[in-house]
Amino acid sequence: MSDALTLKAYDLWKTYGDEAVVQGISFSLAPGEIVGLLGPNGAGKTTTVGMLFGTVIPTKGFVQFGSWQLPGQGQLARAQMGIVTQEDNLDPDFTVFKNLTHFAHHYRITGAAARQRAGELLALVNLEHRAEAQVDELSGGMKRKLVLARALLNQPKIVFLDEPTTGLDPDARQDFWRLVQDLKASGCGILLTTHYMDEAQRLCDRLLLLQQGKVIDKGTPTDLVARVIGREVAEIEGVETQILQDLAASHGAWYRAFGSGHLISLPDRYPEVVWDAIAAHHPSRLLRRPANLEDVFLRLTGSVLE
Amino acid sequence: MKLITATPWGVYTVWWRHFQVYRSTWLVNCLPPISEPVVYLLAFGYGLSPLIGEVDYLGQMIPYARFLAPGMIAIGVLFQSFFEGAYSSFIRLNFQKTWQALLTAPLSYTDVFLGDWVWAATKGTIAGTITGLVAVLANLYDLSSLVLSLPLIVLGSLLFGAFGLLVAGAVNKVDQVNVPIFLVIIPMFTLCGTYFPRDTLPPLLAKFAALLPLASLVDLLRWPLGLPPWWPLLLLWLIGWMVVMARLAALRIYPRLFS
Repeated sequence: MSDALTLKAYDLWKTYGDEAVVQGISFSLAPGEIVGLLGPNGAGKTTTVGMLFGTVIPTKGFVQFGSWQLPGQGQLARAQMGIVTQEDNLDPDFTVFKNLTHFAHHYRITGAAARQRAGELLALVNLEHRAEAQVDELSGGMKRKLVLARALLNQPKIVFLDEPTTGLDPDARQDFWRLVQDLKASGCGILLTTHYMDEAQRLCDRLLLLQQGKVIDKGTPTDLVARVIGREVAEIEGVETQILQDLAASHGAWYRAFGSGHLISLPDRYPEVVWDAIAAHHPSRLLRRPANLEDVFLRLTGSVLE
Repeated sequence: MKLITATPWGVYTVWWRHFQVYRSTWLVNCLPPISEPVVYLLAFGYGLSPLIGEVDYLGQMIPYARFLAPGMIAIGVLFQSFFEGAYSSFIRLNFQKTWQALLTAPLSYTDVFLGDWVWAATKGTIAGTITGLVAVLANLYDLSSLVLSLPLIVLGSLLFGAFGLLVAGAVNKVDQVNVPIFLVIIPMFTLCGTYFPRDTLPPLLAKFAALLPLASLVDLLRWPLGLPPWWPLLLLWLIGWMVVMARLAALRIYPRLFS
């Protein structure tokens, strides 16, 4: 895979009237890498993806993909891109199989070559048994897989997955994740937007955390969690707020009220000291668990992902 | 809106997609352009002919059914191209998101727009031609005249297809398509000289009707019966309408896809 097909976003801005939806986002995506845009609804993820493939015109900044610069050369760049948009835009006028063969026509893949490629992709996403079904007869998970198959018709060098598993059941999500990991293994660069932490943590090599159109932090999921929170977190109920606040302050730990209880990070060095101190207050519920991206987001933004 | 270059393949492949949908239900799709003119010709041609006999058109007396036939061709062109451009494109744009899907492929906005437009014009051309063939079979229009009228049928289809696309880009709800139908399409197809010569209308109304593009198309399609001396202006008038409609349609639809 040529390094020339790295995608680079330079200082992307998008404003609608007075509202800045995306503010100065820069990053790169190399072949064989999964980069995640993680943020709550309205953080600017979909707008950013739109700028990457050319349907959102940046107010400032540009995207370089190989020798093509977007938005001006989006049409040319998309010949090497696969795009799974958030909204379902499969063709209800065609069967599953024809959704692929007819869309292949737009890439100049026609006749027997189109039928062969459609067959390969249906096998890849385990939909070959539904080839003659109408799109309306598919489940949500099957539709997402078919959109992914359609995005791979041209054997793209880079794939955009915009909230690909929203609304899917756990089995369908696992199935989708397997496909994404296979794509990565084949050398494809993947940009994933999601508000699911488990998805981001499991799939992404690097993450950009977005809030209100800005990158508030970035790094690998492991590094982000370790740097911002630490290794472990305690979830506590039934202990007075002031006691926990004092405890956190005295040990340099992060503390936050959460739901009907509290969260407190356990220091990487001597976590037992804090843990035992909490336990000494006989909380009604006490849970010790590994820190995760939800904690990172909560600490950085003060809000949970939704 | 930036002018983005279209490619012949890009326009063709979008058109081809729409043709595949049409082909899959060709029997249903062919029914309206065949049945409509047959019904009109039977109802108005044979029903009214004994009452009307002949009409005075450009100073000569013409059997009513022969006068009516070119009007029916124009109506076939108008309805099929306008409805494809308005309703079908609106559905592809707002419900099926076909335009949005096509723009994830290596196609430009201009490719997708032209593909939709040419497809709307294709449907108008099919309808106009089938209507013409029905008129030929009924001995109301000559086959050679129909062949020579094909460029006019295509031009009219492009014009009304562009008008349909403009409506698709201008309205927010599918029901709102009814507004231009009642305000423009119905007055046009009743007043523009399709069913009766316009000079039977009050002078002011006749002048207004003559300005509507269907009037020019009908007058030009009646060329085997005679042409008004200013017919080249009618042709230019149609081309002008088409260019303006297409430009306005492209400007209205673009912001729905690109932000």
